[in-house]
Amino acid sequence: MKKIRSNSIEQTTPLLRWVSEGQIEEIHFATLEVLERTGVKVDHPEALQLLKDAGCIVNENRVRIPSWLVEECIRLAPSKIVVANRKGNRVMPLEKNRTYFGTGSDLPYTIDLETGKRRRSTKNDVELACRVMDYLPNYDFVMSYAIASDTSSKVSDLHQLEAMVSNTIKPMIVTAHDEINMRAQLEMAALVVGGKEELRKNPFLILYSEPISPLVHTNDGVGKMFASFEYGVPVVYTPGILSGATTPVTKAGTIVLMNAEALAGVVMAQLKQKGAPIIIGGGATPMDMRTTATLYGSPETMMNYAIMTQLSQFYGIPNFTEAGCVNSPVPDAQAGMEAGNGILMAQLMGANLVHDVGYLEGGKTGSLTFLTMCNDFMDNARYMGRGTRIDEETMAVDVIDEVGPGGNYVSHEHTFKHFREEVWTPKQFNRSFWEIWEEQGSKSMEDNAEELAKEIVANHTSEPLNETIRQGLNEIIAETDKAKATSRRKK
Amino acid sequence: MSSLNDLAELVISGNYNGAKELTQRLIDNGTEPLEIINQGLMAGMNVVGVRFKAGDMFVPEVMMSAKAMSTGIELVKPLIADRDMPSAGTVLIGTVKGDLHDIGKKLVVMMMESAGFKVIDLGVDISPEAFVEAVKEHKPQAIGMSALLTTTMLSMRDTIEALEEEGLRDSVKIVIGGAPISQSFAEEIGADGYAPDAAAATDLCKKLIA
Ligand code: B12
Repeated sequence: MKKIRSNSIEQTTPLLRWVSEGQIEEIHFATLEVLERTGVKVDHPEALQLLKDAGCIVNENRVRIPSWLVEECIRLAPSKIVVANRKGNRVMPLEKNRTYFGTGSDLPYTIDLETGKRRRSTKNDVELACRVMDYLPNYDFVMSYAIASDTSSKVSDLHQLEAMVSNTIKPMIVTAHDEINMRAQLEMAALVVGGKEELRKNPFLILYSEPISPLVHTNDGVGKMFASFEYGVPVVYTPGILSGATTPVTKAGTIVLMNAEALAGVVMAQLKQKGAPIIIGGGATPMDMRTTATLYGSPETMMNYAIMTQLSQFYGIPNFTEAGCVNSPVPDAQAGMEAGNGILMAQLMGANLVHDVGYLEGGKTGSLTFLTMCNDFMDNARYMGRGTRIDEETMAVDVIDEVGPGGNYVSHEHTFKHFREEVWTPKQFNRSFWEIWEEQGSKSMEDNAEELAKEIVANHTSEPLNETIRQGLNEIIAETDKAKATSRRKK
Repeated sequence: MSSLNDLAELVISGNYNGAKELTQRLIDNGTEPLEIINQGLMAGMNVVGVRFKAGDMFVPEVMMSAKAMSTGIELVKPLIADRDMPSAGTVLIGTVKGDLHDIGKKLVVMMMESAGFKVIDLGVDISPEAFVEAVKEHKPQAIGMSALLTTTMLSMRDTIEALEEEGLRDSVKIVIGGAPISQSFAEEIGADGYAPDAAAATDLCKKLIA
């Protein structure tokens, strides 16, 4: 019989909290004050009407939202949103403390895997990135990574979706130029899974739409969100900001303002449709005051995301943050530090959707080498996130007694049994002794990652889409392209 | 003379209340208005520009200095005939059609203003037609276009074509910028220049207009 210890609490995974519950409440109340006192600007007619009918004070486009309404809508928003993969398997339940990693979208430049030169991104870069992420196990979802800038710019977002669904079965987050294109993407998604009903049951994509800081909700931003809810597709509705430019420079002020924008989104979503699957959070990046660069890899962002994750857990609404995105222009030591810090923090805080993994140069340049490298960083963070197992078996008192003073453990059964869990084994890190490392070509981690990326590109393909579906997708793209060309000429 | 140096120092430190007071005192003392601008206010701002480029000053500090300079200029301006007012030139600027990104553009505006340009900011989502109309109205020496999206950068070409159609292309210099823009893109669409950041944008305009 197992011996029982009284008054025993087990902590199986590490517990990281950045601020106290009381401080979270303080931020919450400050946010309510912003929404009630300053209010927001809403440029979407239907949303404006909904807000008015629900009891907001509306003055032209300016909407002041009463606290009770915000709190009611927070309660209505689901605390659990399940996202499936392309095959309908419900692989990504967004619930408190479950962390998923993926990359970001729309990088204008790519460091070419073959030539090592930076050039404009193409549709093929989207395809390759998705294949690489389809293979690498620590990517739970994908975004386009690159921009399909060699396709018709009116429908480049649809081309990106086509490239994504054709090269991975993993869940995905999409961006869209406007509501028309979002609707086209929703039709494409329905086609992929065999109809709207299937898509509603097991959505495999999420829309990423944005308010504009400070406090502006655009016709397109809200329109895309509402369209997605009609199809039962979840929406990330979060601002991308620059502290010191579009929000206060202080971290707390940034968080309050962003939270106000996200919660205004929650209110509009719940008024549009009770229980609408909305995800809060955002990109809380400061502006570098010397270069004006957007600071993706900085300590401030990680500190902000820690608190924003706590806030979302306080509300019981899934969240969206970022990590593994860096300001270094190349996958060097700086990039490793910037990426590693953020990824570990996101994992330990229990953030839900952690995107932008693999971004270089402050969100402007992509590299399959860096994307691949980050798989090991995430693996490392997840390993730590699993925590330290403490029980009779792992404390190994019997084994210590058996081996006794002066013995060794290397050939012991206990070592054999546990070493895989107890010692992390990376795929791309260098750990060889100097001479052996030299013998094997003196390769840096970057070289190792590049090799692995090339291997994946050469050998891995995802489960293909069937030909009729592919044709259907291309038809939707062509139709949308044509419709937009005509509407443009009419102008 | 030393009070003109003091004025420059107040601009450099971003002390706009101090700059305002001292400017008024200099006016009251009968100091030549153009001297107040050139040897006081602008002299300070020139130092700021150099320090910013060297990385010794930060954006918010530059903004405060610019504010100090312009509070001074506001006081002196009525005393100078319009045509004698020193100006580096007039620049028309806007974010192109379909694009709502404006943080970078605003920084460019502020940096150019602090270098003595008169800047007319058209805002965001500006169509080629609107640029053309504004050129007719304001007759600037240069146009700046900002685009952050690959999907909207092509509107820059449309704008240049629209200016050509109206016979206005040769009356202005065209500079462009934003995350996806490059020197080679500028050459491709027939713009006169590209700059990667606000300080470089200001230098570029100075060079092109001079
Ligand atoms: C903040 C931001 C936003 C904010 C903008 C808020 C605002 N008021 O401007 C919001 C959230 C609204 C936003 C929206 C979108 N964004 Co955005 N955004 C950014 C971000 C993170 C920073 C841009 C910024 O302000 N940088 C700071 C300023 C100071 O730098 P800057 O703009 O580059 O300007 C400097 C220079 O370029 C130059 N410069 C700028 N203009 C000019 C003009 C002239 C004449 C000259 C000479 C120089 C010059 O000087 C400036 C100062 O030094 C960038 C990523 C990045 N790192 O650039 C993405 C980014 C630009 N966005 C992107 C995307 C895809 C979008 C959306 C389509 C996303 C969506 N899901 O809907 C929407 C589009 C909305 C629209 N129709 O415009 C992509 C663009 C990809 C592309 N090239 O097509 C980027 C690169 C991020 C990414 N990889 O996904 N975005």
